[in-house]
Amino acid sequence: MKLNTMAAVMSFVTRIEEDAASFYEECATQYPNMKDTLLSWSKENRKFEKDVKRTYFGVITDTLESNYAFEGLDTDDYAFGTSLSTDAEPSDVAKQSQDMEEKIKGFYLRAAELSEGLMADIPRLFRKIAKKRENRRIPV
Amino acid sequence: MAVKRLQNYINGEWVDSTTDEFVEIINPARGELLCECPMSAKAELDSAVQAAQEAYPDWRNTPAVARARYLHRLIEVMEDNFNELSMVQTREHGKTIDESRGETRRGIEMVEVASGIPTSMQGFNLEDIAHGIDEYAIYQPLGVFSCIAPFNFPFMVPLWFLPFAIACGNTFLVKPSPRAPMSQNKLFEMLDDVGLPPGVVNLVNGGAEVADGCMEHPDMKGVTFVGSTPVARHIYQKCGETGKRVIAQAGAKNFIVIMPDAEIDKAMVSLISSFFGNAGQRCLAGANLLVVGDDKTYRNVVDKFVEAAAAITVGDGLDESVQMGPVQNAESKQRILKMMEKGLEEGAKLTLDGRKLKLVGDLPEDCFLNPSVFENVTPEMSLARDEIFGPVASVLRAKDLNEAIDIIHGVPFANSSAIFTNNGKWARQFQHDVIAGNVGINVGIVAPMAFFPFGGMKDSFFGVLHGQGRDVVRFFTESKIVITRWF
Repeated sequence: MKLNTMAAVMSFVTRIEEDAASFYEECATQYPNMKDTLLSWSKENRKFEKDVKRTYFGVITDTLESNYAFEGLDTDDYAFGTSLSTDAEPSDVAKQSQDMEEKIKGFYLRAAELSEGLMADIPRLFRKIAKKRENRRIPV
Repeated sequence: MAVKRLQNYINGEWVDSTTDEFVEIINPARGELLCECPMSAKAELDSAVQAAQEAYPDWRNTPAVARARYLHRLIEVMEDNFNELSMVQTREHGKTIDESRGETRRGIEMVEVASGIPTSMQGFNLEDIAHGIDEYAIYQPLGVFSCIAPFNFPFMVPLWFLPFAIACGNTFLVKPSPRAPMSQNKLFEMLDDVGLPPGVVNLVNGGAEVADGCMEHPDMKGVTFVGSTPVARHIYQKCGETGKRVIAQAGAKNFIVIMPDAEIDKAMVSLISSFFGNAGQRCLAGANLLVVGDDKTYRNVVDKFVEAAAAITVGDGLDESVQMGPVQNAESKQRILKMMEKGLEEGAKLTLDGRKLKLVGDLPEDCFLNPSVFENVTPEMSLARDEIFGPVASVLRAKDLNEAIDIIHGVPFANSSAIFTNNGKWARQFQHDVIAGNVGINVGIVAPMAFFPFGGMKDSFFGVLHGQGRDVVRFFTESKIVITRWF
């Protein structure tokens, strides 16, 4: 699906952060030794979602230009799997997590680029969230 | 299921209108009936003004800081209901959900700025204007004010006035547009939640009878209005006769000048938003794209503009993939189509024909238009001079900046003009010379911010003080001079 408006971008942020949070919560039940880290990421995902929404609702104006800025963002480019097979090895989970984080990071960086100069707080936050994800590595 | 009938809010109570005349409020995107709006009678307006007049003495004696606290509570309630407020605007007006959220945000900003009234209403003084004699100026409220609101920003526009008026200690009455009254209904539910004393704010739905009542009622101290030029002129004249203060913000035909050195790729999003945002139904919308330069410059600008306009997705504003909603009602669409026909008869070239509909989803076509772009428009054509208030852009040419400014000055309106250039000298000349209430430099929409005054010039504004910012605080207050000596 093409994301060509700010509202659509916001809905997609909600979806990916929720999906990623649920993924980590499920992982936490299967891998108790990593529970604290995984649950902290899940919590952080929900904070990211909240921060993005708060920023969006804070800076959106009636002179909206961003509605016409998001050319070329497609959800298909940022799709990731969240189902976890019961016999998955920790290394599989680590790989799946890394793939997911890369996709999400890629989305935020592209969305930041496209919204640059229109709503300054939004691209700044998108970049901050992308950066914060850099250190997410599940130890195998 | 019975259709909801909107009520009036008078003296702190929701009351049924006594009228038997109702207007159906239709969602322009889906054609569904949303509610019925009463066309209240003058007697209902009179009873609201009476309530406001009776509430005024206590309210004006309420300390400014306490009045501001009601506004702080209103901000909280509005933030809690941000999405719901925005959805109502989209459903009754047709604008996209992002545009509605933008409108909600701007509305809240008005309340935020108005809540600074303990500072912004302060007077000034001078000790020893003569030996042992001091003088000071104080600002005092006047009484009952009203707002006759438009359909295009049904939530925000009354908030250009209401929070400032009541923060200053006046009482207030809103007459929403009978084309889009639901947002104000929602706002008044929130004002009711906030617990303002009865009569401080009042809502009377209706049409010309209620509007005329606002202009004629002897207890009404002033009228604020946003809408068309003929009505604004009428209100200004009428309120002159009855001795009322007026802010009457009127029609527009805004120019955007593209100089040869403009960063056209960077400007395009701003241009498209200016011309086609809110389906062109805003007094700050770009209407005339005035390109300065040779044929190559012209073709480059216009081709990119047409390409971007053609790519705009049109449909129900609640669909997040939609970038432009319908115009507000079927009559608006017919009026716009007639103006387009007239443009063709006058010899303009319809490069992008928005009459050929391309909609997202299966929707009734009554209120939809895709973006249109006319070329070969000359300054004397109706396309260049008359307010279309729809998603129609007219492209004109000028050989240089001086000619561009002359063309701008040839239209009767002067709400907003913008220039896109990297040349500081041109920008400075434009800012200095152009007659317009609002000037943009590399900005497509010269947005009305709560903390600056907003108003046009020439046929775009009738009055003296503008809405918002410092001007509106002066509008809603009278200065009183006190000179003191103590023996």
